[in-house]
Amino acid sequence: MMALLGYLIRRVFRAITTLLGTTLILFVLVRVVPANPAVSIAGPKADPETLAAIRKDLGLDDPLAVQYGRYLERLVHGDLGRSYLTGRRVTEAIGERLPATAKLGLTALAVGFFLGLLIGIVTAARQGSAADIGVLIATLVGLSIPTFWLGNVLIYFFGYRLRWLPLGGAGALRHLVLPAATLAIVELFFYARFVHTNVGGTLASDYIRTARAKGVPPLRLYFVHALRNALIPVVTLLGLDVAALMSGVTLTETVFNWPGLGRLAVQSVFQLDIPVLAGTVLFSAALVLVANLVVDLLYGVIDPRVRHG
Amino acid sequence: MAEAALRGLGSRRRSRRLFAAGMILVGGLGLVAAAAPWLTSYDPDAIVVAHYAGPLPPGGAHPLGTDTLGRDVWARLAYGARTSLFVGGLAMALSLGIGVTVGLVGGYFGGAVDTALMWLVDLVLTMPTLLLLIVLAAVLPPSLLTIPLVIGVVGWTTFARTVRGEVLSLRERDYLLAARALGASHGRIMLRHLLPGVLPGVVVLAALGMSGAIGIDAGLSYLGLGVPLPTPSWGRMVSEVQTYFAVAPWLVVLPGVAVSLAVIGFNLVGYGLIDLLGERRG
Repeated sequence: MMALLGYLIRRVFRAITTLLGTTLILFVLVRVVPANPAVSIAGPKADPETLAAIRKDLGLDDPLAVQYGRYLERLVHGDLGRSYLTGRRVTEAIGERLPATAKLGLTALAVGFFLGLLIGIVTAARQGSAADIGVLIATLVGLSIPTFWLGNVLIYFFGYRLRWLPLGGAGALRHLVLPAATLAIVELFFYARFVHTNVGGTLASDYIRTARAKGVPPLRLYFVHALRNALIPVVTLLGLDVAALMSGVTLTETVFNWPGLGRLAVQSVFQLDIPVLAGTVLFSAALVLVANLVVDLLYGVIDPRVRHG
Repeated sequence: MAEAALRGLGSRRRSRRLFAAGMILVGGLGLVAAAAPWLTSYDPDAIVVAHYAGPLPPGGAHPLGTDTLGRDVWARLAYGARTSLFVGGLAMALSLGIGVTVGLVGGYFGGAVDTALMWLVDLVLTMPTLLLLIVLAAVLPPSLLTIPLVIGVVGWTTFARTVRGEVLSLRERDYLLAARALGASHGRIMLRHLLPGVLPGVVVLAALGMSGAIGIDAGLSYLGLGVPLPTPSWGRMVSEVQTYFAVAPWLVVLPGVAVSLAVIGFNLVGYGLIDLLGERRG
C-alpha cells in the first residue's frame, strides 16, 4: 500500500513539473513571436500612443521573469488571457470548441481501439498465415497514408460520388461519420498491429499452452487468458496515443471544417491570435498529461511490478 | 510511440522481401528527386498551358495532367520529391544528432543528469506534436530551413530513449570497465566504445524517423505551414486543389499517393532492418 502511494505521489509530482515545463516552453515561444502583439490588436495603422498604451496594459515592457510569473499566476486562476481579435476570453473559446473535439476524438478512439483489438486478436491466432501477412501489409499502409489525404478520399467517395454523407461541417450525427471514420481508420491499424504482435507473443507462452492442454475452449483462451496479459502494455499505449490523437484530430478537423480545438489552433495561427493559439496548445497538452496520469495510475493498480520501478 | 511498434516483420524471408521492396521505393524516390530536371522539361512553378480552361486530365504532353493554375502535375510531384527528401533528411539528421547525444550522455552518466534529460524527453513526448509544431512554425520566420529545423527539434525523443536503453545495457560490460580502468576519458568512452554499440539501433530509427518526418512535413504543408511558396510540396498540392476533387480527382489523389509511397518505403526499410540486424546479432 505504501509502495502504491509513493508511486502515485511520484507520478502526480512528475505531471505537475511537466505541465510547468510546458508553460515555460509556450511562454518562451510566444515571447519570440516576430509579430508585435500590440500591432496585432490595434492594427497596422495604429498611432504610437495607442500601441504604447496596449504595451503597458499587457505589461510587455516588464522583465521576462516578471511577465512569466504573472502568466503563471493567471493560469492558476484559470485565466488564459483574451483573444487579440475578438477580445473574448480564451477559456470561453476553448469551452465552446471542446465538445466537438471530444465527440470526434472519443468516437474515433473507441471505434478504432475496439476494432483494432478485435482484428489484432483474430489475426494473432493465425500467425504466419495469409491473414497474418495481410494485417502486416494493411497496417504498414494504414500507418503510412496521410490523415488529411484519407479524409479527402473518403469525402470524394462517400460525399461526392455516392452522396451518402455530407462533405463537411458539424451538427447532426451524419456529419460525424466521415471525420470519425478517417481518424478511426488510423487508430485501428495502430492498435491492430500492436495487439497482433503482443497477443501473438502471449499465445506462445507456457501458461497458454497449459490452459490449452487443459481443454480451455479457444474463444475463452484468446479473449480471457491471452488478452488480459496482452492488454497491460496496450493501456500504456492508450495514454501515449492521446498525444498522437490530438495531431490527427487537428488535421481531420481542418479537412472536414469541424469546429473543434484543432481547427481553432490552426485558425488562430493565420489570424496571428497568439493568446488563443497558446491557450489551445496548453490546454491540449494538459489533456494529454491528465490522460497519461490516469493511465499511469491505472497501471500501478493493475500491475504491482510497476510501483517499485 | 514508434517504440511501442518497434517490432520486426516476422520471418527472415519475408523481412528480406519487404526490406527489398522498401529499398526499391526509397531508391525510386531518390532517383526522381535527383533526376527531376531530366525527367520533365517543365518548370514546376510555371504556368504551362497556353489557354487556361480548367485542369487538364492526365495524358499527352502532361502525363499526369495540369493543376488548377495550369502547372504540370508531374513536374510538381518530381520537384516535390526533392522538398520531401530535403525536409525529411535534414529533420531526421537533426533529431538523430540531438537524440543520440542526449541518450549517450543520459545513459552513460546516469543519476541526476539522466533524470533531468529523461524529464525533458517526457516533456516533449507529452506535448501534442502537431500543435507544438504549429506554434513553432507560426512564431519562426518562414524559410526553407524552418520546417526541417522545427520537425527535427521536436522529433528526437525516440532516438534518445532507444540509445539510452542500449547504453544502459552496455554500460556494465567488461570492455567498458577495462577502458575506464585504463583511464579513458568520458568523451572517449562514449564516442569510441558506446557509440558503435548503439549504431545498429540508430540506423533503424533513422529510417523510421525519415518516414515520420516526411509524413509530418506533408501534414504541416497541408495546413499551410510548410516550406514557403513557391517550393512545390506534396502536402500543399493537396490543400491547393481539394475543392476541385469532384472535377479533377487526380490532383488530390496523386500527391497523397506520393506521400504514402515515400512513408511506406522508409517504414519497410526500417522495420526490415530490425529483423535483418537482429538476425546478424542474435
